Amino acid sequence: MIRAFASGMWIHVVQFSRNPFDLTGVVIWPIVYASIAYYLLDSKDNPRLLLAASLGASVMLMWSLVVIGSSNALENQRWLGTLELLVAAPVPFAAVIAPITVASGVVGGYALVATLAWGTLLFDVPLVIVHPLAFALAVPCCVLAIGMLGLVMASTFVLYRAAFSLGIALQYPVWIATGLLVPLSVLPTFVGRIGWFLGPYWGYRAIREAALGPSPWPAIGMCLVVSATYLVVGTACLRAFVHVARSRGTLKLT
Amino acid sequence: MAAIEVHELERTYRSRKGVIRRRRTEVRALQGITFEVAAGELFGLLGPNGAGKTTTIKILTTLLLPSGGSARVLGYDPARQPGEIRRRVGHVFGGDRGLYDRLSALDNLRYFADLYRVPVREKRARIASLLELVGLTGRERERVETYSRGMRQRLHIARGLLHDPEILFLDEPTIGLDPVGAREVRETVASLRAQGKTILLTTHYMYEADELCQRIAVIAGGRFVAAGTPRELKARVLDRTVIELETFGVAEPTLERLRSVAGVASIASETREQAEVLVVQSRIGAEIVPALLLELTGTSVGKVITREPTLEDAYVELVGSA
Ligand SMILES: Nc1ncnc2c1ncn2[C@@H]1O[C@H](COP(=O)(O)OP(=O)(O)OP(=O)(O)O)[C@@H](O)[C@H]1O
Ligand SMILES: [Mg+2]
Repeated sequence: MIRAFASGMWIHVVQFSRNPFDLTGVVIWPIVYASIAYYLLDSKDNPRLLLAASLGASVMLMWSLVVIGSSNALENQRWLGTLELLVAAPVPFAAVIAPITVASGVVGGYALVATLAWGTLLFDVPLVIVHPLAFALAVPCCVLAIGMLGLVMASTFVLYRAAFSLGIALQYPVWIATGLLVPLSVLPTFVGRIGWFLGPYWGYRAIREAALGPSPWPAIGMCLVVSATYLVVGTACLRAFVHVARSRGTLKLT
Repeated sequence: MAAIEVHELERTYRSRKGVIRRRRTEVRALQGITFEVAAGELFGLLGPNGAGKTTTIKILTTLLLPSGGSARVLGYDPARQPGEIRRRVGHVFGGDRGLYDRLSALDNLRYFADLYRVPVREKRARIASLLELVGLTGRERERVETYSRGMRQRLHIARGLLHDPEILFLDEPTIGLDPVGAREVRETVASLRAQGKTILLTTHYMYEADELCQRIAVIAGGRFVAAGTPRELKARVLDRTVIELETFGVAEPTLERLRSVAGVASIASETREQAEVLVVQSRIGAEIVPALLLELTGTSVGKVITREPTLEDAYVELVGSA
Protein backbone atom coordinates (compact mmCIF):
# COMPACT_ATOMS: atom_id res chain seq x y z
CA MET A 1 0.00 0.00 0.00
CA ILE A 2 2.88 2.31 0.78
CA ARG A 3 4.39 1.31 -2.54
CA ALA A 4 1.14 2.08 -4.33
CA PHE A 5 1.14 5.45 -2.59
CA ALA A 6 4.72 6.35 -3.49
CA SER A 7 4.30 5.08 -7.03
CA GLY A 8 1.07 7.03 -7.40
CA MET A 9 2.65 10.27 -6.25
CA TRP A 10 5.52 9.84 -8.62
CA ILE A 11 3.24 9.05 -11.56
CA HIS A 12 1.05 12.07 -10.97
CA VAL A 13 3.94 14.45 -10.50
CA VAL A 14 5.47 13.19 -13.76
CA GLN A 15 2.14 13.30 -15.61
CA PHE A 16 1.67 16.84 -14.28
CA SER A 17 5.17 18.01 -15.12
CA ARG A 18 4.78 16.88 -18.71
CA ASN A 19 1.95 19.29 -19.33
CA PRO A 20 3.46 22.61 -20.36
CA PHE A 21 0.24 24.45 -19.53
CA ASP A 22 0.21 23.32 -15.91
CA LEU A 23 3.89 24.03 -15.57
CA THR A 24 3.61 27.62 -16.74
CA GLY A 25 0.82 28.15 -14.24
CA VAL A 26 2.99 26.93 -11.41
CA VAL A 27 5.67 29.42 -12.36
CA ILE A 28 3.35 32.38 -12.84
CA TRP A 29 0.86 32.04 -9.98
CA PRO A 30 3.33 32.67 -7.15
CA ILE A 31 4.26 36.00 -8.71
CA VAL A 32 0.60 36.92 -9.07
CA TYR A 33 -0.22 35.96 -5.50
CA ALA A 34 2.81 37.74 -4.11
CA SER A 35 1.68 40.89 -5.92
CA ILE A 36 -1.87 40.52 -4.65
CA ALA A 37 -0.61 40.27 -1.09
CA TYR A 38 1.39 43.42 -1.55
CA TYR A 39 -1.04 45.66 -3.39
CA LEU A 40 -4.38 44.47 -2.11
CA LEU A 41 -3.72 44.77 1.59
CA ASP A 42 -2.32 48.21 1.96
CA SER A 43 0.25 47.24 4.55
CA LYS A 44 3.49 48.61 3.26
CA ASP A 45 4.37 50.37 6.51
CA ASN A 46 3.71 47.41 8.74
CA PRO A 47 6.30 44.66 8.11
CA ARG A 48 4.53 42.15 10.38
CA LEU A 49 1.26 42.63 8.55
CA LEU A 50 3.03 42.45 5.22
CA LEU A 51 4.60 39.12 6.07
CA ALA A 52 1.29 37.83 7.40
CA ALA A 53 -0.39 38.87 4.14
CA SER A 54 2.26 37.11 2.05
CA LEU A 55 1.91 33.98 4.12
CA GLY A 56 -1.87 34.13 3.73
CA ALA A 57 -1.55 34.57 -0.01
CA SER A 58 0.82 31.64 -0.30
CA VAL A 59 -1.46 29.33 1.69
CA MET A 60 -4.36 30.46 -0.49
CA LEU A 61 -2.35 29.55 -3.53
CA MET A 62 -1.45 26.19 -2.03
CA TRP A 63 -5.10 25.43 -1.40
CA SER A 64 -6.08 26.48 -4.92
CA LEU A 65 -3.41 24.31 -6.42
CA VAL A 66 -4.58 21.33 -4.40
CA VAL A 67 -8.25 21.71 -5.27
CA ILE A 68 -7.65 22.51 -8.89
CA GLY A 69 -4.83 20.00 -9.23
CA SER A 70 -6.73 17.12 -7.74
CA SER A 71 -10.07 17.86 -9.37
CA ASN A 72 -8.26 18.22 -12.66
CA ALA A 73 -6.39 14.97 -12.08
CA LEU A 74 -9.61 13.12 -11.31
CA GLU A 75 -11.40 14.53 -14.30
CA ASN A 76 -8.38 13.47 -16.31
CA GLN A 77 -8.77 9.90 -15.13
CA ARG A 78 -12.23 9.92 -16.64
CA TRP A 79 -10.98 11.29 -19.93
CA LEU A 80 -8.11 8.86 -20.06
CA GLY A 81 -10.47 6.01 -19.18
CA THR A 82 -8.29 4.98 -16.26
CA LEU A 83 -10.81 5.69 -13.50
CA GLU A 84 -12.39 2.25 -13.85
CA LEU A 85 -8.99 0.60 -13.78
CA LEU A 86 -8.08 2.48 -10.61
CA VAL A 87 -11.34 1.42 -8.98
CA ALA A 88 -10.78 -2.17 -10.12
CA ALA A 89 -7.33 -2.28 -8.49
CA PRO A 90 -7.10 -4.40 -5.36
CA VAL A 91 -5.57 -1.65 -3.19
CA PRO A 92 -8.08 0.54 -1.31
CA PHE A 93 -9.26 3.37 -3.48
CA ALA A 94 -8.06 5.95 -0.95
CA ALA A 95 -4.51 4.70 -1.50
CA VAL A 96 -4.98 5.49 -5.18
CA ILE A 97 -6.53 8.93 -4.72
CA ALA A 98 -4.57 10.28 -1.74
CA PRO A 99 -1.28 10.35 -3.70
CA ILE A 100 -2.99 12.56 -6.27
CA THR A 101 -4.08 15.14 -3.70
CA VAL A 102 -0.87 14.98 -1.70
CA ALA A 103 1.17 15.30 -4.91
CA SER A 104 -0.81 18.48 -5.63
CA GLY A 105 -0.04 19.51 -2.06
CA VAL A 106 3.65 19.10 -2.71
CA VAL A 107 3.37 21.28 -5.79
CA GLY A 108 1.48 23.68 -3.51
CA GLY A 109 4.32 23.53 -0.98
CA TYR A 110 6.73 24.58 -3.66
CA ALA A 111 4.35 27.40 -4.65
CA LEU A 112 4.27 28.60 -1.05
CA VAL A 113 8.02 28.87 -0.93
CA ALA A 114 8.04 30.52 -4.35
CA THR A 115 5.39 33.07 -3.34
CA LEU A 116 7.40 34.05 -0.28
CA ALA A 117 10.59 34.23 -2.31
CA TRP A 118 8.99 36.49 -4.91
CA GLY A 119 7.53 38.62 -2.17
CA THR A 120 10.96 39.15 -0.70
CA LEU A 121 12.56 39.67 -4.05
CA LEU A 122 10.06 42.04 -5.60
CA PHE A 123 8.44 43.81 -2.66
CA ASP A 124 10.99 43.54 0.16
CA VAL A 125 8.65 41.53 2.33
CA PRO A 126 10.74 40.97 5.45
CA LEU A 127 11.29 37.24 5.80
CA VAL A 128 12.02 37.20 9.50
CA ILE A 129 10.95 33.92 10.99
CA VAL A 130 10.68 33.61 14.75
CA HIS A 131 10.77 29.80 14.96
CA PRO A 132 12.69 28.58 11.88
CA LEU A 133 12.57 24.92 12.94
CA ALA A 134 8.86 25.03 13.63
CA PHE A 135 8.37 26.82 10.33
CA ALA A 136 10.17 24.02 8.47
CA LEU A 137 7.79 21.60 10.15
CA ALA A 138 4.70 23.74 9.74
CA VAL A 139 4.99 23.80 5.95
CA PRO A 140 4.80 20.02 5.42
CA CYS A 141 2.06 19.84 8.07
CA CYS A 142 0.12 22.45 6.16
CA VAL A 143 0.69 20.47 2.93
CA LEU A 144 -0.66 17.39 4.65
CA ALA A 145 -3.69 19.12 6.14
CA ILE A 146 -4.56 20.72 2.82
CA GLY A 147 -3.85 17.56 0.83
CA MET A 148 -6.10 15.53 3.11
CA LEU A 149 -8.95 18.03 2.83
CA GLY A 150 -8.36 17.63 -0.89
CA LEU A 151 -8.90 13.89 -0.41
CA VAL A 152 -12.30 14.46 1.18
CA MET A 153 -13.27 16.72 -1.70
CA ALA A 154 -11.85 14.30 -4.27
CA SER A 155 -14.31 11.69 -3.05
CA THR A 156 -17.14 13.86 -4.33
CA PHE A 157 -15.39 14.12 -7.69
CA VAL A 158 -15.87 10.36 -8.05
CA LEU A 159 -19.59 10.94 -7.90
CA TYR A 160 -19.93 14.18 -9.81
CA ARG A 161 -18.61 14.28 -13.30
CA ALA A 162 -18.15 18.04 -13.37
CA ALA A 163 -15.27 17.63 -10.95
CA PHE A 164 -13.24 20.48 -12.31
CA SER A 165 -15.92 23.15 -12.08
CA LEU A 166 -16.86 21.88 -8.66
CA GLY A 167 -13.21 22.21 -7.65
CA ILE A 168 -13.07 25.81 -8.80
CA ALA A 169 -16.28 26.61 -6.95
CA LEU A 170 -14.91 25.10 -3.74
CA GLN A 171 -11.86 27.34 -3.63
CA TYR A 172 -13.49 30.53 -2.44
CA PRO A 173 -15.61 29.43 0.54
CA VAL A 174 -12.53 27.85 2.05
CA TRP A 175 -10.52 31.01 1.49
CA ILE A 176 -13.11 32.96 3.41
CA ALA A 177 -13.82 30.46 6.18
CA THR A 178 -10.16 30.07 7.02
CA GLY A 179 -9.55 33.78 7.27
CA LEU A 180 -7.11 33.78 4.40
CA LEU A 181 -8.89 36.47 2.47
CA VAL A 182 -10.35 38.72 5.14
CA PRO A 183 -9.57 38.70 8.84
CA LEU A 184 -11.98 36.43 10.67
CA SER A 185 -12.72 39.17 13.21
CA VAL A 186 -14.78 41.11 10.66
CA LEU A 187 -16.90 38.07 9.81
CA PRO A 188 -19.76 36.60 11.84
CA THR A 189 -18.44 34.25 14.51
CA PHE A 190 -19.92 31.10 12.99
CA VAL A 191 -17.64 31.50 9.96
CA GLY A 192 -14.65 31.30 12.25
CA ARG A 193 -16.13 28.21 13.87
CA ILE A 194 -16.36 26.57 10.44
CA GLY A 195 -12.69 27.42 9.96
CA TRP A 196 -11.88 25.29 12.97
CA PHE A 197 -12.81 22.20 10.99
CA LEU A 198 -10.73 23.14 7.99
CA GLY A 199 -7.15 22.05 7.41
CA PRO A 200 -6.09 25.27 5.66
CA TYR A 201 -7.07 27.29 8.75
CA TRP A 202 -4.75 25.33 11.03
CA GLY A 203 -2.12 25.10 8.33
CA TYR A 204 -2.13 28.85 7.93
CA ARG A 205 -2.09 29.44 11.68
CA ALA A 206 0.81 27.02 12.12
CA ILE A 207 2.80 28.77 9.44
CA ARG A 208 1.91 32.27 10.59
CA GLU A 209 2.62 31.58 14.23
CA ALA A 210 5.91 29.91 13.36
CA ALA A 211 6.88 33.03 11.46
CA LEU A 212 5.48 35.69 13.78
CA GLY A 213 4.98 33.95 17.09
CA PRO A 214 3.61 33.16 19.59
CA SER A 215 3.93 29.39 19.82
CA PRO A 216 3.02 27.46 16.63
CA TRP A 217 2.92 24.05 18.31
CA PRO A 218 -0.81 23.91 19.15
CA ALA A 219 -1.67 24.72 15.53
CA ILE A 220 0.80 22.15 14.22
CA GLY A 221 -0.81 19.59 16.50
CA MET A 222 -4.23 20.56 15.22
CA CYS A 223 -2.96 20.13 11.65
CA LEU A 224 -2.11 16.54 12.41
CA VAL A 225 -5.41 15.95 14.16
CA VAL A 226 -7.52 17.32 11.31
CA SER A 227 -5.35 15.47 8.75
CA ALA A 228 -5.95 12.16 10.50
CA THR A 229 -9.67 12.92 10.72
CA TYR A 230 -9.81 13.80 7.04
CA LEU A 231 -8.01 10.58 6.17
CA VAL A 232 -10.63 8.54 8.02
CA VAL A 233 -13.56 10.55 6.66
CA GLY A 234 -12.11 10.64 3.13
CA THR A 235 -11.54 6.88 3.08
CA ALA A 236 -15.08 6.24 4.25
CA CYS A 237 -16.53 8.70 1.72
CA LEU A 238 -14.52 7.24 -1.12
CA ARG A 239 -15.72 3.76 -0.26
CA ALA A 240 -19.33 4.91 -0.06
CA PHE A 241 -19.20 7.00 -3.21
CA VAL A 242 -17.54 4.27 -5.25
CA HIS A 243 -20.37 2.03 -4.16
CA VAL A 244 -22.90 4.59 -5.37
CA ALA A 245 -21.02 4.99 -8.65
CA ARG A 246 -21.02 1.21 -9.12
CA SER A 247 -24.72 1.07 -8.58
CA ARG A 248 -25.45 4.03 -10.88
CA GLY A 249 -22.96 2.94 -13.49
CA THR A 250 -21.29 6.33 -13.87
CA LEU A 251 -17.63 5.35 -13.54
CA LYS A 252 -16.87 5.22 -17.23
CA LEU A 253 -18.84 8.32 -18.20
CA THR A 254 -16.96 11.46 -19.00
CA MET B 1 -16.53 -25.48 -9.54
CA ALA B 2 -17.04 -23.27 -12.58
CA ALA B 3 -14.75 -20.27 -12.84
CA ILE B 4 -17.66 -18.00 -13.68
CA GLU B 5 -21.32 -18.64 -12.94
CA VAL B 6 -23.97 -16.20 -14.05
CA HIS B 7 -27.55 -16.86 -13.07
CA GLU B 8 -30.54 -14.82 -14.21
CA LEU B 9 -28.38 -11.71 -14.13
CA GLU B 10 -30.20 -8.40 -14.51
CA ARG B 11 -29.07 -4.83 -14.78
CA THR B 12 -31.15 -1.72 -15.31
CA TYR B 13 -29.63 1.68 -15.97
CA ARG B 14 -31.58 4.64 -14.72
CA SER B 15 -30.74 8.03 -16.00
CA ARG B 16 -32.33 11.42 -16.02
CA LYS B 17 -32.80 13.43 -19.11
CA GLY B 18 -33.49 17.09 -19.56
CA VAL B 19 -32.60 19.91 -17.23
CA ILE B 20 -35.92 21.58 -16.63
CA ARG B 21 -38.44 18.84 -17.17
CA ARG B 22 -36.65 15.91 -15.70
CA ARG B 23 -37.66 12.65 -17.22
CA ARG B 24 -36.44 9.35 -15.96
CA THR B 25 -35.39 6.85 -18.54
CA GLU B 26 -34.74 3.21 -17.88
CA VAL B 27 -32.62 0.90 -19.98
CA ARG B 28 -32.95 -2.76 -19.18
CA ALA B 29 -29.49 -3.75 -20.34
CA LEU B 30 -29.61 -7.28 -18.93
CA GLN B 31 -32.87 -9.13 -18.48
CA GLY B 32 -31.93 -12.46 -16.96
CA ILE B 33 -28.78 -13.93 -18.47
CA THR B 34 -27.47 -17.35 -17.48
CA PHE B 35 -24.22 -19.05 -18.45
CA GLU B 36 -21.20 -20.79 -16.97
CA VAL B 37 -17.54 -20.74 -17.84
CA ALA B 38 -15.34 -23.65 -16.79
CA ALA B 39 -11.83 -23.13 -15.45
CA GLY B 40 -9.28 -23.01 -18.25
CA GLU B 41 -11.92 -22.35 -20.87
CA LEU B 42 -11.85 -19.63 -23.50
CA PHE B 43 -15.45 -18.50 -23.60
CA GLY B 44 -16.93 -16.13 -26.14
CA LEU B 45 -19.75 -13.74 -25.37
CA LEU B 46 -21.33 -12.61 -28.62
CA GLY B 47 -24.18 -10.31 -29.46
CA PRO B 48 -25.09 -7.24 -31.47
CA ASN B 49 -24.42 -3.68 -30.25
CA GLY B 50 -26.21 -2.97 -27.01
CA ALA B 51 -26.70 -6.65 -26.26
CA GLY B 52 -25.25 -6.22 -22.78
CA LYS B 53 -21.82 -7.80 -23.19
CA THR B 54 -19.86 -4.95 -21.66
CA THR B 55 -22.45 -4.63 -18.91
CA THR B 56 -21.98 -8.31 -18.06
CA ILE B 57 -18.21 -7.95 -17.95
CA LYS B 58 -18.43 -4.83 -15.78
CA ILE B 59 -20.59 -6.69 -13.30
CA LEU B 60 -18.21 -9.64 -13.21
CA THR B 61 -15.18 -7.36 -12.76
CA THR B 62 -16.93 -5.57 -9.84
CA LEU B 63 -17.26 -2.21 -11.57
CA LEU B 64 -21.03 -2.35 -11.69
CA LEU B 65 -23.62 -3.74 -9.31
CA PRO B 66 -26.27 -6.07 -10.72
CA SER B 67 -29.92 -5.13 -10.26
CA GLY B 68 -31.02 -8.74 -9.97
CA GLY B 69 -29.93 -12.33 -10.26
CA SER B 70 -26.58 -13.60 -9.10
CA ALA B 71 -23.03 -14.06 -10.27
CA ARG B 72 -20.03 -15.92 -8.94
CA VAL B 73 -16.47 -15.39 -10.03
CA LEU B 74 -14.08 -18.02 -8.68
CA GLY B 75 -16.73 -18.67 -6.05
CA TYR B 76 -16.90 -15.03 -4.90
CA ASP B 77 -19.79 -12.61 -5.23
CA PRO B 78 -18.73 -9.59 -7.31
CA ALA B 79 -21.24 -7.35 -5.56
CA ARG B 80 -20.21 -8.22 -2.00
CA GLN B 81 -16.64 -9.47 -2.22
CA PRO B 82 -15.04 -7.18 -4.79
CA GLY B 83 -11.63 -7.29 -3.11
CA GLU B 84 -11.26 -11.05 -3.52
CA ILE B 85 -12.14 -10.83 -7.20
CA ARG B 86 -10.06 -7.77 -8.07
CA ARG B 87 -6.96 -9.54 -6.89
CA ARG B 88 -7.64 -12.53 -9.11
CA VAL B 89 -9.00 -11.23 -12.39
CA GLY B 90 -7.65 -9.04 -15.15
CA HIS B 91 -9.76 -6.69 -17.27
CA VAL B 92 -8.81 -5.44 -20.72
CA PHE B 93 -11.10 -3.39 -22.90
CA GLY B 94 -10.70 -2.47 -26.53
CA GLY B 95 -9.96 0.98 -27.84
CA ASP B 96 -7.10 3.26 -27.03
CA ARG B 97 -8.22 4.66 -23.70
CA GLY B 98 -7.14 3.51 -20.27
CA LEU B 99 -3.44 4.40 -20.34
CA TYR B 100 -1.37 7.35 -19.13
CA ASP B 101 -0.45 8.93 -22.44
CA ARG B 102 2.34 11.14 -21.23
CA LEU B 103 4.16 8.29 -19.56
CA SER B 104 6.17 5.51 -21.13
CA ALA B 105 4.84 1.97 -21.40
CA LEU B 106 7.28 0.95 -18.72
CA ASP B 107 6.03 3.62 -16.29
CA ASN B 108 2.45 2.60 -16.99
CA LEU B 109 3.21 -1.01 -16.24
CA ARG B 110 5.23 -0.16 -13.13
CA TYR B 111 2.43 1.94 -11.73
CA PHE B 112 -0.23 -0.68 -12.31
CA ALA B 113 2.09 -3.37 -10.95
CA ASP B 114 2.18 -1.43 -7.68
CA LEU B 115 -1.59 -0.96 -7.71
CA TYR B 116 -2.07 -4.68 -8.32
CA ARG B 117 0.35 -5.60 -5.57
CA VAL B 118 2.91 -7.39 -7.69
CA PRO B 119 5.73 -8.35 -5.29
CA VAL B 120 8.74 -6.05 -5.72
CA ARG B 121 11.10 -8.95 -6.36
CA GLU B 122 9.01 -10.21 -9.27
CA LYS B 123 8.07 -6.87 -10.73
CA ARG B 124 10.98 -6.32 -13.07
CA ALA B 125 11.00 -9.87 -14.47
CA ARG B 126 7.22 -9.92 -14.83
CA ILE B 127 7.15 -6.67 -16.77
CA ALA B 128 9.99 -7.82 -19.03
CA SER B 129 8.30 -11.11 -19.84
CA LEU B 130 4.97 -9.42 -20.54
CA LEU B 131 6.58 -6.88 -22.85
CA GLU B 132 8.09 -9.84 -24.64
CA LEU B 133 4.71 -11.62 -24.80
CA VAL B 134 2.98 -8.65 -26.41
CA GLY B 135 5.92 -7.76 -28.62
CA LEU B 136 6.77 -4.35 -27.18
CA THR B 137 10.29 -5.14 -26.00
CA GLY B 138 12.66 -2.39 -27.08
CA ARG B 139 9.96 0.30 -27.27
CA GLU B 140 8.93 0.31 -23.65
CA ARG B 141 10.63 3.62 -22.88
CA GLU B 142 8.72 5.59 -25.48
CA ARG B 143 5.72 7.63 -24.43
CA VAL B 144 2.38 5.95 -24.96
CA GLU B 145 1.03 8.99 -26.83
CA THR B 146 3.39 8.07 -29.68
CA TYR B 147 2.11 4.49 -29.89
CA SER B 148 -0.07 3.09 -32.64
CA ARG B 149 -3.45 1.68 -31.73
CA GLY B 150 -2.22 -1.88 -31.99
CA MET B 151 0.68 -1.15 -29.66
CA ARG B 152 -1.65 0.45 -27.13
CA GLN B 153 -3.97 -2.51 -27.32
CA ARG B 154 -1.12 -4.91 -26.70
CA LEU B 155 0.12 -2.77 -23.83
CA HIS B 156 -3.40 -3.01 -22.41
CA ILE B 157 -3.21 -6.76 -22.48
CA ALA B 158 0.16 -6.70 -20.76
CA ARG B 159 -1.36 -4.44 -18.10
CA GLY B 160 -4.25 -6.84 -17.58
CA LEU B 161 -1.85 -9.72 -17.03
CA LEU B 162 0.51 -7.99 -14.57
CA HIS B 163 -0.81 -9.69 -11.47
CA ASP B 164 -1.03 -13.07 -13.20
CA PRO B 165 -4.83 -13.22 -12.94
CA GLU B 166 -6.71 -16.50 -12.94
CA ILE B 167 -9.37 -15.08 -15.21
CA LEU B 168 -8.91 -12.57 -17.98
CA PHE B 169 -11.81 -10.51 -19.30
CA LEU B 170 -11.24 -9.23 -22.83
CA ASP B 171 -13.87 -6.81 -24.11
CA GLU B 172 -13.44 -6.44 -27.87
CA PRO B 173 -9.65 -6.59 -27.77
CA THR B 174 -9.27 -6.31 -31.55
CA ILE B 175 -11.62 -3.38 -32.13
CA GLY B 176 -10.14 -0.85 -34.51
CA LEU B 177 -7.00 -2.84 -35.28
CA ASP B 178 -5.72 -3.52 -38.76
CA PRO B 179 -5.75 -7.19 -39.90
CA VAL B 180 -2.13 -7.75 -38.94
CA GLY B 181 -2.52 -6.10 -35.53
CA ALA B 182 -5.70 -8.06 -34.90
CA ARG B 183 -3.97 -11.28 -35.81
CA GLU B 184 -1.14 -10.53 -33.39
CA VAL B 185 -3.63 -9.94 -30.61
CA ARG B 186 -5.38 -13.21 -31.50
CA GLU B 187 -2.07 -15.03 -31.35
CA THR B 188 -1.45 -13.58 -27.91
CA VAL B 189 -4.90 -14.71 -26.78
CA ALA B 190 -4.33 -18.18 -28.23
CA SER B 191 -1.05 -18.50 -26.34
CA LEU B 192 -2.79 -17.48 -23.12
CA ARG B 193 -5.39 -20.15 -23.74
CA ALA B 194 -2.57 -22.66 -24.21
CA GLN B 195 -1.23 -21.63 -20.79
CA GLY B 196 -4.56 -22.63 -19.32
CA LYS B 197 -5.93 -19.21 -18.42
CA THR B 198 -9.68 -18.82 -18.16
CA ILE B 199 -10.70 -16.14 -20.63
CA LEU B 200 -14.01 -14.42 -21.29
CA LEU B 201 -13.86 -12.72 -24.68
CA THR B 202 -16.33 -10.51 -26.49
CA THR B 203 -15.99 -9.71 -30.16
CA HIS B 204 -17.99 -8.73 -33.20
CA TYR B 205 -15.80 -10.79 -35.52
CA MET B 206 -17.22 -14.25 -35.97
CA TYR B 207 -14.13 -15.81 -37.49
CA GLU B 208 -12.28 -14.60 -34.41
CA ALA B 209 -14.74 -16.31 -32.12
CA ASP B 210 -14.67 -19.42 -34.30
CA GLU B 211 -10.88 -19.52 -34.27
CA LEU B 212 -10.39 -18.87 -30.57
CA CYS B 213 -13.39 -19.83 -28.48
CA GLN B 214 -14.10 -23.24 -27.09
CA ARG B 215 -17.63 -22.28 -26.17
CA ILE B 216 -19.86 -19.36 -27.03
CA ALA B 217 -22.95 -17.71 -25.63
CA VAL B 218 -25.02 -15.44 -27.81
CA ILE B 219 -27.07 -12.70 -26.19
CA ALA B 220 -29.22 -10.03 -27.79
CA GLY B 221 -31.12 -7.15 -26.25
CA GLY B 222 -30.15 -8.29 -22.77
CA ARG B 223 -31.58 -11.75 -23.24
CA PHE B 224 -29.92 -15.11 -23.60
CA VAL B 225 -30.21 -16.53 -27.14
CA ALA B 226 -28.06 -19.64 -27.43
CA ALA B 227 -24.90 -21.29 -26.15
CA GLY B 228 -22.64 -24.07 -27.28
CA THR B 229 -19.39 -24.84 -29.05
CA PRO B 230 -18.86 -23.10 -32.38
CA ARG B 231 -19.53 -26.46 -34.01
CA GLU B 232 -22.82 -26.89 -32.16
CA LEU B 233 -23.96 -23.43 -33.11
CA LYS B 234 -23.02 -24.05 -36.72
CA ALA B 235 -24.92 -27.34 -36.61
CA ARG B 236 -28.12 -25.37 -36.19
CA VAL B 237 -27.72 -24.13 -39.70
CA LEU B 238 -25.70 -27.06 -41.05
CA ASP B 239 -28.66 -28.48 -42.91
CA ARG B 240 -28.61 -25.28 -44.89
CA THR B 241 -26.67 -24.06 -47.82
CA VAL B 242 -25.62 -20.47 -48.10
CA ILE B 243 -25.95 -18.76 -51.44
CA GLU B 244 -24.35 -15.38 -51.96
CA LEU B 245 -25.63 -13.29 -54.84
CA GLU B 246 -23.78 -10.19 -55.88
CA THR B 247 -26.35 -7.60 -56.89
CA PHE B 248 -26.47 -3.89 -57.50
CA GLY B 249 -29.35 -2.33 -55.64
CA VAL B 250 -32.31 -4.49 -54.70
CA ALA B 251 -35.49 -2.79 -53.58
CA GLU B 252 -37.39 -3.83 -50.48
CA PRO B 253 -40.39 -5.33 -52.40
CA THR B 254 -38.02 -7.58 -54.32
CA LEU B 255 -36.47 -8.70 -51.03
CA GLU B 256 -39.93 -9.52 -49.73
CA ARG B 257 -40.66 -11.64 -52.80
CA LEU B 258 -37.31 -13.41 -52.41
CA ARG B 259 -38.13 -14.20 -48.79
CA SER B 260 -41.27 -15.99 -49.84
CA VAL B 261 -39.48 -18.26 -52.34
CA ALA B 262 -39.96 -21.86 -51.19
CA GLY B 263 -36.92 -23.15 -49.32
CA VAL B 264 -35.53 -19.78 -48.23
CA ALA B 265 -34.71 -19.80 -44.49
CA SER B 266 -33.41 -16.27 -44.26
CA ILE B 267 -32.04 -13.43 -46.32
CA ALA B 268 -29.61 -10.78 -45.23
CA SER B 269 -28.19 -8.03 -47.33
CA GLU B 270 -24.58 -6.91 -46.87
CA THR B 271 -22.49 -4.25 -48.52
CA ARG B 272 -19.10 -5.45 -49.65
CA GLU B 273 -16.75 -3.28 -51.66
CA GLN B 274 -18.81 -1.90 -54.52
CA ALA B 275 -21.54 -4.50 -54.55
CA GLU B 276 -24.47 -5.41 -52.41
CA VAL B 277 -24.46 -9.08 -51.51
CA LEU B 278 -27.60 -11.01 -50.69
CA VAL B 279 -26.81 -13.82 -48.30
CA VAL B 280 -29.55 -16.43 -48.67
CA GLN B 281 -29.79 -19.42 -46.38
CA SER B 282 -31.47 -22.24 -48.27
CA ARG B 283 -33.08 -25.35 -46.81
CA ILE B 284 -33.00 -27.21 -50.09
CA GLY B 285 -29.44 -26.72 -51.23
CA ALA B 286 -28.33 -25.06 -54.42
CA GLU B 287 -31.46 -26.10 -56.30
CA ILE B 288 -33.04 -22.89 -55.10
CA VAL B 289 -30.80 -20.70 -57.26
CA PRO B 290 -32.97 -20.66 -60.45
CA ALA B 291 -36.04 -19.65 -58.41
CA LEU B 292 -34.06 -16.81 -56.82
CA LEU B 293 -32.73 -15.61 -60.15
CA LEU B 294 -36.24 -15.66 -61.56
CA GLU B 295 -37.36 -13.22 -58.86
CA LEU B 296 -34.36 -11.05 -59.62
CA THR B 297 -35.07 -10.61 -63.33
CA GLY B 298 -34.51 -7.01 -64.19
CA THR B 299 -31.75 -6.51 -61.63
CA SER B 300 -28.19 -7.18 -62.66
CA VAL B 301 -26.69 -10.06 -60.77
CA GLY B 302 -22.95 -10.64 -60.58
CA LYS B 303 -21.17 -13.59 -59.02
CA VAL B 304 -23.24 -16.33 -57.41
CA ILE B 305 -21.45 -18.41 -54.79
CA THR B 306 -22.66 -21.48 -52.95
CA ARG B 307 -20.91 -22.36 -49.70
CA GLU B 308 -21.12 -24.12 -46.34
CA PRO B 309 -22.56 -22.08 -43.50
CA THR B 310 -20.08 -20.36 -41.18
CA LEU B 311 -20.40 -19.31 -37.57
CA GLU B 312 -21.39 -15.90 -38.82
CA ASP B 313 -24.36 -17.39 -40.67
CA ALA B 314 -25.36 -19.22 -37.51
CA TYR B 315 -25.01 -15.98 -35.56
CA VAL B 316 -27.07 -13.94 -38.01
CA GLU B 317 -29.78 -16.59 -37.91
CA LEU B 318 -29.75 -16.73 -34.08
CA VAL B 319 -29.77 -12.99 -33.56
CA GLY B 320 -32.24 -12.39 -36.37
CA SER B 321 -34.80 -14.75 -34.90
CA ALA B 322 -34.23 -13.57 -31.32
N1 LIG C 1 -23.76 3.95 -18.09
C1 LIG C 1 -24.87 3.70 -18.79
N2 LIG C 1 -25.97 4.43 -18.58
C2 LIG C 1 -27.11 4.18 -19.27
N3 LIG C 1 -27.24 3.19 -20.15
C3 LIG C 1 -26.19 2.41 -20.42
C4 LIG C 1 -24.94 2.62 -19.75
N4 LIG C 1 -24.04 1.70 -20.20
C5 LIG C 1 -24.71 0.95 -21.11
N5 LIG C 1 -25.99 1.37 -21.25
C6 LIG C 1 -27.02 0.75 -22.12
O1 LIG C 1 -27.09 -0.62 -21.81
C7 LIG C 1 -27.27 -1.40 -22.99
C8 LIG C 1 -26.19 -2.47 -23.07
O2 LIG C 1 -24.96 -1.85 -23.25
P1 LIG C 1 -23.58 -2.65 -23.33
O3 LIG C 1 -22.49 -1.64 -23.38
O4 LIG C 1 -23.52 -3.65 -22.25
O5 LIG C 1 -23.70 -3.39 -24.73
P2 LIG C 1 -22.61 -4.22 -25.53
O6 LIG C 1 -23.17 -5.57 -25.76
O7 LIG C 1 -21.29 -4.15 -24.88
O8 LIG C 1 -22.60 -3.42 -26.91
P3 LIG C 1 -21.38 -3.13 -27.92
O9 LIG C 1 -21.26 -4.33 -28.77
O10 LIG C 1 -21.88 -1.96 -28.70
O11 LIG C 1 -20.18 -2.84 -27.10
C9 LIG C 1 -27.25 -0.42 -24.14
O12 LIG C 1 -28.59 -0.18 -24.51
C10 LIG C 1 -26.63 0.82 -23.56
O13 LIG C 1 -27.18 1.96 -24.17
MG1 LIG D 1 -19.40 -3.36 -25.38
